[in-house]
Amino acid sequence: MANSPLLAPLRRLRRNAVVLAGCATLGYLLLPNLVVLLFSFNDPAGRFNYQWRAFSTDAWTDPCGVADMCGSLGLSLRIAVLATLIATAFGTLAAFALARYRFRGGGLANALIFLPMAMPEVVMAASLGTLFLNMRVGFGFTTILIAHVMFCLSFVIVAVKARVMSMDPRLEEAARDLYAGPVQTFWRVTLPLAAPGIAAGAMLSFALSFDDFIITQFNAGSSTVTFPMFVWGAAQRGVPVQVNVIGSAMFVIAVAIVLGGRLTANRRRKS
Amino acid sequence: MTLTLSGLSKVFGDATAVHPLDLTIPEGSFFALLGASGCGKTTTLRMVAGLEEPTGGRILLDGEDITRLPPHRRPVNTVFQNYALFPHLDVRDNVAFGLRRRGVKSVGKQVAEMLELVQLGELARRRPGQLSGGQQQRVALARALINRPQVLLLDEPLGALDLKLRRQMQLELSRIQAEVGITFVHVTHDQEEAMTMADRVAVMNGGRVVQLGEPAELYENPRSTFVANFLGTSNLVEAQVTAAGPDEIQVKAPGADGTLRLPAARCPAEGTGAGDTLLVGVRPEKIALTRAQDADQVPGGRNRLTGRIRDANYLGVSLHYLVDTPACAEISVYEQNVERDTRLTPGAEVVVHWRPAHTFALDAAQDMTAGEGEI
Repeated sequence: MANSPLLAPLRRLRRNAVVLAGCATLGYLLLPNLVVLLFSFNDPAGRFNYQWRAFSTDAWTDPCGVADMCGSLGLSLRIAVLATLIATAFGTLAAFALARYRFRGGGLANALIFLPMAMPEVVMAASLGTLFLNMRVGFGFTTILIAHVMFCLSFVIVAVKARVMSMDPRLEEAARDLYAGPVQTFWRVTLPLAAPGIAAGAMLSFALSFDDFIITQFNAGSSTVTFPMFVWGAAQRGVPVQVNVIGSAMFVIAVAIVLGGRLTANRRRKS
Repeated sequence: MTLTLSGLSKVFGDATAVHPLDLTIPEGSFFALLGASGCGKTTTLRMVAGLEEPTGGRILLDGEDITRLPPHRRPVNTVFQNYALFPHLDVRDNVAFGLRRRGVKSVGKQVAEMLELVQLGELARRRPGQLSGGQQQRVALARALINRPQVLLLDEPLGALDLKLRRQMQLELSRIQAEVGITFVHVTHDQEEAMTMADRVAVMNGGRVVQLGEPAELYENPRSTFVANFLGTSNLVEAQVTAAGPDEIQVKAPGADGTLRLPAARCPAEGTGAGDTLLVGVRPEKIALTRAQDADQVPGGRNRLTGRIRDANYLGVSLHYLVDTPACAEISVYEQNVERDTRLTPGAEVVVHWRPAHTFALDAAQDMTAGEGEI
């Protein structure tokens, strides 16, 4: 019975169940991206890009063909890069302070850091908007940047803190024992060891800032339009194919970065 | 370089880790600080390395005061417990770390030589995560030794290795120490390790050095029950002094048939007289067993106690017996496995006997079980 040929496919299924479940999950996650990629090659009839009509590379050869779109993309990238740099720098410093030293208010600070992550975005967006309004700060690039730095900071602190806490303090003692002064110890040992946490925090910051809509919408004013805001506006009147092009390009770049990181890590491990 | 600790002490909050400590470690020696965990040995080592600030006292290296120097300015290097290798650097860069920090430009030749010394030449491009425990241990040693420190500190360097590898590394460490001639200060809780490698051992307990000397001296002449029990095992019997001469002391243990004799030189208390109480000790491997029926074959002049075997264990290289006597329960005896008497089984009546010269005495006013079973 156990060796019956009828049961063979069933056995093979059972042996590969984990792989199959994994593939199904990946498919579920990636299918929307593939649809976006596919429709970036569409040549839609009307203003709505929801039905497949004909293959075309028009949108890819002229990605900035839609009025104002590339301007908003540039703005989003500028804000994301700046917010990432500022949040990563300050967040790393804060994470070291919280992980390494005990000080008055340290526990409270640890709790407050989780607040921006736990709070509904709309609430935070509206409160920030009220604050800026009352302080009579003009809405625009600066207010968006300040808002983005604020919520990115929490993610950087959490990522870097976890890394710093898991670092063996004896490694720094070993460096000091081996003639490295405080500054050299930081650059040669502490920072390289914390780097994966810092990189994770920075990547999270960039992604969060680039695609944030709610908080940006409340703090942008009328004349500053980021890429997510542009897409939202366009969706009311019909989404141009170029939006799919930008989305697909972002997806491909992100995958390339992750794969590149993996490959260099593998090569380093092998050599 | 002679390392001198003078009145060195460390207090953490309300706990004293190291009581004022005076110690001179001569140049080129292999010195062991031996003690159970929490006895202050690692704290002492960290103070010498500069990683812990002393509460009081001074550290002198060839007469020069280094007490207040930061760790990176001290001509002292450490092999850390669990090695603390830099995981983001390969073996070569780990070993070259100290030289580079001191501004040495071309390190390739020295690194290659050092890796040769610890037999790791072919693993130079590996990362610590890809090495076995024994290999990591060698990298840690090479990383410290390449700097030619005046003193090398080793903090339980073999603690994470399995028994066989530990034995091998013990011999290797001794070889390397003899080859480079640097003063080694070795912290360990393993009495066998300390005795194998070190030429001088300081036994620490409760933040104090309780006895200092060569391994054989410590083992043969323990001056406290702690040392007697922590270094190997000792059979201790409480006994009354019946006669005290200039060369020999005679004692009688309660329940024993005859008197026991020991050299006066092996008695710690000066002026011991009749009626005083002593703890009389003998090491288990110094004792012989004879069946009670053959008691007349025991040579005269030996200390003897009669009793009954409670337990007998075959250990291969030797046999271990536990003998109950009226004077002392559970006298431990190791017999070489040469002429094994198969009639020595649990329940057999026996005479345990040993040479008076192998007997030592300790002050009776201390805990008989101090240092037993501590790690």
